[in-house]
Amino acid sequence: MVRHRSRVCSQLCMKFNSSISRAFGLAAWPRIGLHFRYELRFGKTMAKPPMTLLLDFDDQVRLDRDQPAAFLHRRDRRFALDCDSNHERPTVPRWLEYLDRVNRPAPGASQVRDQDPRLGLWRRVTSGFALAGAVLGILAMPGLLFYDGSQQINVTVILAFILLQLLMALATGLQSIAGWQPWRPVLHGVLERIRPSPAGPAQSVLRELHPQLMARAAHVGGLMFGLTGLLTLLVLVVVQDLAFGWSTTLDTGPVAFHRLIDAIATPWQNLWPAAVPSLDLVAQSRFFRLEDAGTSGAAAHWGAWWRFVAMSWLCYVILPRMLFLTLTQGHLRLRIRRLLANHPGLAALRYRMATPALETGNQEAADQEKPNLETHLNVHPVPDSATVIKWAGATDSLALTRASSALALCAGGTASLRADGQTLEHIRQHLNDVVHVVLILVRAWEPPTGELVDFLEDARETWPTDTQIALVPLASLPATVPDGHHLAQWLRFVERHPDLRLMVSRPEPGPTRAMPVSLSGYHAKASARP
Amino acid sequence: MSHKPVFAVVGHPNKGKSSVVATLSQNDAIVIALEPGTTRQHQAYPLSVDGQILYTLVDTPGFQRPRRVLAWLEAHSLSASDRAETVAAFVRQHSGDPRYHDECELLTPVLEGAGIIYVVDGSVPYSPENEAEMTILRWTGQPSLALVNSIGADDHGDTWQAALSQFFQVVKRFNAVTASFQQHLSLLKTFGQLEPDWERPLEQAINHLSNQRHQRRRQAAELTAQAVEDMLLRREKQTLIVADASTASRESLAGQLRQRWHDHQRQREEALRLAIERLYQHNHIHRQGALLTWQNDHDLFSERSRRAFGVSRSYLTTAGFGAGAAGGIGLDALTLGHSLGAGALIGGLVGAAGSYFYGDRLSFSALRLGPLQQGMQTASFGPVQDSQFGYVVLGRAVDHWWRISHRNHAGQDLLQLENTDSHWLTRLDRTSRRDLQRAFEQCRKKGSLDRAMRQRLSLAVEASFQAYDDWQLNPT
Repeated sequence: MVRHRSRVCSQLCMKFNSSISRAFGLAAWPRIGLHFRYELRFGKTMAKPPMTLLLDFDDQVRLDRDQPAAFLHRRDRRFALDCDSNHERPTVPRWLEYLDRVNRPAPGASQVRDQDPRLGLWRRVTSGFALAGAVLGILAMPGLLFYDGSQQINVTVILAFILLQLLMALATGLQSIAGWQPWRPVLHGVLERIRPSPAGPAQSVLRELHPQLMARAAHVGGLMFGLTGLLTLLVLVVVQDLAFGWSTTLDTGPVAFHRLIDAIATPWQNLWPAAVPSLDLVAQSRFFRLEDAGTSGAAAHWGAWWRFVAMSWLCYVILPRMLFLTLTQGHLRLRIRRLLANHPGLAALRYRMATPALETGNQEAADQEKPNLETHLNVHPVPDSATVIKWAGATDSLALTRASSALALCAGGTASLRADGQTLEHIRQHLNDVVHVVLILVRAWEPPTGELVDFLEDARETWPTDTQIALVPLASLPATVPDGHHLAQWLRFVERHPDLRLMVSRPEPGPTRAMPVSLSGYHAKASARP
Repeated sequence: MSHKPVFAVVGHPNKGKSSVVATLSQNDAIVIALEPGTTRQHQAYPLSVDGQILYTLVDTPGFQRPRRVLAWLEAHSLSASDRAETVAAFVRQHSGDPRYHDECELLTPVLEGAGIIYVVDGSVPYSPENEAEMTILRWTGQPSLALVNSIGADDHGDTWQAALSQFFQVVKRFNAVTASFQQHLSLLKTFGQLEPDWERPLEQAINHLSNQRHQRRRQAAELTAQAVEDMLLRREKQTLIVADASTASRESLAGQLRQRWHDHQRQREEALRLAIERLYQHNHIHRQGALLTWQNDHDLFSERSRRAFGVSRSYLTTAGFGAGAAGGIGLDALTLGHSLGAGALIGGLVGAAGSYFYGDRLSFSALRLGPLQQGMQTASFGPVQDSQFGYVVLGRAVDHWWRISHRNHAGQDLLQLENTDSHWLTRLDRTSRRDLQRAFEQCRKKGSLDRAMRQRLSLAVEASFQAYDDWQLNPT
């Protein structure tokens, strides 16, 4: 029956561990180690944005660094067990939600914030880039389209500017993917000045995302630049008479230039044919041909370029920026997922969740104090006595019973209680004729027990009331004196059992020097411990 | 019989029962003193996994009046078959009697089904006086095991083993203070062999304890790597206003910065030590007065520390390429060329702390004074530009970890380290050496560690633990 129950418990435990393993993508729990594979799953609903989730997790891991490992193990294992009982996966968002819930200062207080304050700086950076881009777009387009009637607006220059914008977008995108940050020292200097992080910039997981965050801000700025530029172009087309032309010092004919224009206009050729300049328009709007073809009728067509310019701006400035912004956003999300999945704290969390919490009973008796080992008694020389009791197997290794008339008896240990009684009676009779001093030889290393207390109490009842009793602790080796800490336990024993005629005596090594018995002052205070 | 084994640790007073329980339950709060009667109540120390108890150790008071108890039992028993009942009757009758308080306390768990772990002190001569106790325990009829624990220096273990085998199923020698972790596990395995039903929970406990040990080493490596990184990257900054910008004030400021930097590094090292001690559940190491003498006598910035744990210039130059195992450079490069070996130093042959602080030498490269701008000048101290410092910090941390992880919870004495003239890094594999050196260099040059390097540093520190363990336990 017992074995069966044990087996059932074991199977339940294994089942639970396997469910934890499945939840965290562990192939098999018993093989969990340093190199297990892991597939992160966020669960069906994600209340927090991925970036906030990552930062929350990183913050929590750093908070946990000061906590004892045993506490963390208990906490996280408890969470995993709760999830299992609720048939839920122990995912990271749930874990953070669980900690939020239990650490929330007041019940019902909302922890969900609209905007993550840790990303405030990056929101400001992005907004700054967007604003700067919008303003620059409004300023740059009139510059490009400056037309005072003396000279046409050069479409070649506009195309070159568009190409520059395209290259900048491309460079920003590639830089973000490659993680190259030539601006890093400047950024870090600024970040440190604006908001020094207590953990230091090196400690923050946000630092790992700087390339993507910076690229996103740059693309937002570029997009706003393109949008406001396009709007400005449209406004200028409405309020001004713009005359476009093209000019180059290269030996290029209108046909070749038209082929180039035609290629550039490929994306919208079918959607908006009117936005593709004809060969005639190209031929008519070349600068050095102006005088030759300078008729008012031709000049009236020069404005027809605006559709091409607008579409070029849309396709090669705005759309690439939108595309790169989307890609960067995707890359950012991917990086966030990877950072979370590879976060060192997650490996530790997985382990704590999947591993049973082990308590070795070390919480018990934590507040106990050490016993007081102080004693105020002093040891005395061995008094002269011809009556000796060898207690619990003690042997007279120092020949204390040297007198031929000495009475040496055994008690305690293997002797029976009846034999102890006989010993007491025998000594009582012996004490009638000699000085009332009895030595009890004890093994110094053996602690005094209740049996000795009983024996001493019986002795007091049996022997004359003025009998002096000297406990003589003996060392295990012959002709040596006992250690101080062994003597101390006998002194404390005497201290715990107040008896004016009970004392502890220490024999001297070599020939025994017995001292005449003093009948008072056995409990004299000693200034120093023995 | 309960399916959750309970083991009552019993014996004569002051024979190391509590120290056995302390070591097995990893509880250094259990009062261990050379004083009989320290334990007056039986106290249970359960080992549980997810709240499910696998087994329980019960610390008990020692026998005080075994002859009287035995006499009572013999007087009330008719035959061998009623002995266990007679013992139970004794406890029932004397449960309120202060004279038999200790006997009732120690017999109660045994009568409730606990296995008997009878502890004797193998450092004192055997005496037949304990036979009354052993007879009482035998009367209970419970599975029993005798442990020969050695409290003192002498060894009478063989005599005890021979005598105890007359009374107990199994007799084992186990020094609660010096026993290795493997010996702990071996002892638990023996506990499980006392009763067939106990074998499985004890095996589970052994597995969990082994996993815990492994995990602790890993966590200790992470803590150590983090501390090393923090210490190498530490920077103290202060800005001087125009009124104080005289030369004398700048020098004074530099001194203050250096002192603050030194103080912080010492505090960080102490914080790491506390964290490692907590990890291994040594929560009362300071209360016990068992301070780690060498670590405390030798300051982090002392020349002695540098000699013990530092490396040579040639090692610093080549370790980043994984050199050291390649012929020629190897050991000479590590041992600094000092006639006084590191191990001899650690072993305590040199007592006093060095008076020369090599930390002063660190100042030359670590102190930076910024330009005077608008009446303001910024001075900073750190990060340290000498990679030597990283090896000193790491060496001291690894040494401390080794002492703590090998320290039993019954232990109150210092661990003695073996003398050796070799450097512990000689036992470290080439890849780990390279990773250490690169991490130190990256801290020095870039002022930070990236995530991948941080992980490699952590793994290298874990490998360092293994290498140091090997260096200490298997000196050449």
